[in-house]
Amino acid sequence: MPAGVATLQGPELRYGFVNDAMRAVIGDAAQEGRSVAESPGLIPADLLEVMQQVYESGRPFVAKAYRIPTPAATGSGAAIRYFDVALEPVREGGGPVSGLLLFAVDVTEQEETRQRAHELAIETRRLDTRLRVLTETVPQITFTMDAAGKLEYVSPQWYYFTGQPPTADLNAIWPLLIHPDDRLRVLYQSDAARAAGTGWSFEYRMRRHDGQYRWLLSRALPELHAPDQPVFWHGALTEVHDQRELAEALRRGEAELRFLADSIPELIWTATSEGFIDYYNQFTGEYTGLTRDELGPTGWINLLEPTEQAGAARRWVQSIASGEPYEGLFRMRRHDGRYRWHIIRARQLADTRGPRWFGACTDVDDQHRLREVLQTQYDELARTNRDLDTFVYTASHDLKQPLLNLRGLFDELRRTARFEDPQEAEIQDMVDGALAQLDTTLQELAATVQEQRGLSAPTEPLDLRSVAEEVLLGLRAQVQEANATVELNFEAAPTLTYGRANLRSILHNLLSNALKFADPERPAAVQVYSRLDEGGRPILSVADNGLGMVLLENQATVFQPFARQHPHIGGAGVGMYLVQRIITSRGGRLEVASTVGQGTTFTIHWLEE
Amino acid sequence: MVVLRLRSISPGGVSTVPLFSMIHIVYMSRAVRPLSDQDLQLLLDQCRQDNAQRNVTGVLFYSHGNIAQLIEGEPAILEPLFDKISRDGRHSHVVKLVDKPIATRSFSDWSMAFHPLEPAGFEALEGFLLPGNLPASPSTLTIADAMMVDLVRLAVFGPDAVPTEPAEPVHA
Repeated sequence: MPAGVATLQGPELRYGFVNDAMRAVIGDAAQEGRSVAESPGLIPADLLEVMQQVYESGRPFVAKAYRIPTPAATGSGAAIRYFDVALEPVREGGGPVSGLLLFAVDVTEQEETRQRAHELAIETRRLDTRLRVLTETVPQITFTMDAAGKLEYVSPQWYYFTGQPPTADLNAIWPLLIHPDDRLRVLYQSDAARAAGTGWSFEYRMRRHDGQYRWLLSRALPELHAPDQPVFWHGALTEVHDQRELAEALRRGEAELRFLADSIPELIWTATSEGFIDYYNQFTGEYTGLTRDELGPTGWINLLEPTEQAGAARRWVQSIASGEPYEGLFRMRRHDGRYRWHIIRARQLADTRGPRWFGACTDVDDQHRLREVLQTQYDELARTNRDLDTFVYTASHDLKQPLLNLRGLFDELRRTARFEDPQEAEIQDMVDGALAQLDTTLQELAATVQEQRGLSAPTEPLDLRSVAEEVLLGLRAQVQEANATVELNFEAAPTLTYGRANLRSILHNLLSNALKFADPERPAAVQVYSRLDEGGRPILSVADNGLGMVLLENQATVFQPFARQHPHIGGAGVGMYLVQRIITSRGGRLEVASTVGQGTTFTIHWLEE
Repeated sequence: MVVLRLRSISPGGVSTVPLFSMIHIVYMSRAVRPLSDQDLQLLLDQCRQDNAQRNVTGVLFYSHGNIAQLIEGEPAILEPLFDKISRDGRHSHVVKLVDKPIATRSFSDWSMAFHPLEPAGFEALEGFLLPGNLPASPSTLTIADAMMVDLVRLAVFGPDAVPTEPAEPVHA
């Protein structure tokens, strides 16, 4: 825009020449011949006054960025415009001042730019102050470092922390305050980051005012002035000493616990709250011969004896669901393929870190086997003892008849024979006495055993099922060992009137024989059933699918004492003899039918005609 | 690519088995934001369509932001697929639980189970199951893998969805 020019003439300052540019500023009031006082147009009052003074004094005046409000072109309110206004007195021929030259250059844009810059500067100062207050209030030490590694700025916290005087040479002292063990690393890492133009984050120990070294976390980011290299790094130092000590203690504690777990010759493991194993101790690897990856989060199930896997898995899922402790006795496969008995126990730990599971598998194989052996021996002894009891009883019972015969014969002999020698009478008395003593001994023997075994007990109505189940309970170890199924069917004749101990003894012997002589080639199946014969008399059968035996024409040999059908299978050989004796003494009969390789059936006719 | 991990833990002893042509991967994750019924239906459709072409099968469990998935198929397809899945922005905290060869597929039809807000529309949907109606894990899985699926299901749906069986007596 061209400069506005106008001439003002005479003491009244009448408009003379006014160019278009000046007319645009003053407005249409600037008519030649009119005085500015009458028609100031947009000229403000203070400028009018100054014009007057310039005219009177004859001294030129320049007003920079003079503010003149002008009506906006569209009439939407006054706009402020700025002009450099120059007032030059005019003298004609060196005489007195006869008029004024008025120049006005529009500098609105420059002025507005300048004002904006000024406002920005104020805002910048405000932000700068705020930043400074903030950096000096936060607990961290803040710093600015240049590309050469020189510290430009460090917040006052550094002086508080280190206890250094404000006059201290930062760049000389700082490296000396770093712990000697960390110094080289810190200098190198910071240098490398600056060379690469990246930020950094590392921890080191710095000496505090009290001489103690404290762990600090140093983080810094480069200030980039594209496209140039970064020129400054701004960063902060945060004291992380306590966290670090705590983390260190935790790490140490964890390492110690892990070492402990790895030193124990047991399988130790931990699992997540979801039930996935996340740690196996070293011994687990040694025992199983498998790595952690091979075992996997649920792979321990594969180590169990296959028939036990499903049950173990189901119970583990239930424990995870309920949080209840897990416990079980399982066979676990060793690296050489052998299974050993283990007690697996696991408990849930619920603390602030969320629930986790801790488990151990304890090898109890030796104890388990020892217990099994002892149990077998105990059962064997108990059976033998029982058999011997009954044997003594039946033997004493059976000896009574021959004794009776002997006494009869002896009495008969004394009656018919002649004894001349008085000494012979003495022998007779002695034989008499011996016979009486034998009789007493036998009676006492029978009475003793009878009392023990309840053989003298009176008969009573018995529920066959409950007695049979009681007997099977005592035989459960053998049932399990033979993997046997025992089927009881007493519907046809549910009760039997008999001596309780006798029935138990009979069932015990027949069932234990059926289990003992089971064919190892197939699972044992034993059927026990009762019925009534044509005459309504009770009958009971025990049928097995065991080894079977060769029957001689005279069945009775099976029932002789010490007759053993399968010498390779343990037993005193009196069981069947006793069964038969009990049955016959109660007025019954025992039958046997057998096929080698298929099985044996014993049938008891409780009452003979 | 064939996974050359030949040693498989099988009942009865470590044995050498022929090269497996299939693997399965099981992972759990957290949804970034709760998935709506519509999201889930879309997801099921997407799974069924994408994976039918590539012969990938499996099962997906979802409940309250918990996600678990089992996928089975050829390693050359499954491994890149899992990479893609683990980078999917809709979920985070992806934890791979297992990645191992299998002898046979156990989820030949894609299925999915979740608690829909409006169960009515979902019951008729193909491949969808309400968590309460989930069948027992397929018998083609090894017992250890079936237990993993059960544990994953428990972690997603909580104890209510686990079939309650009477606790067995401790093995004598």
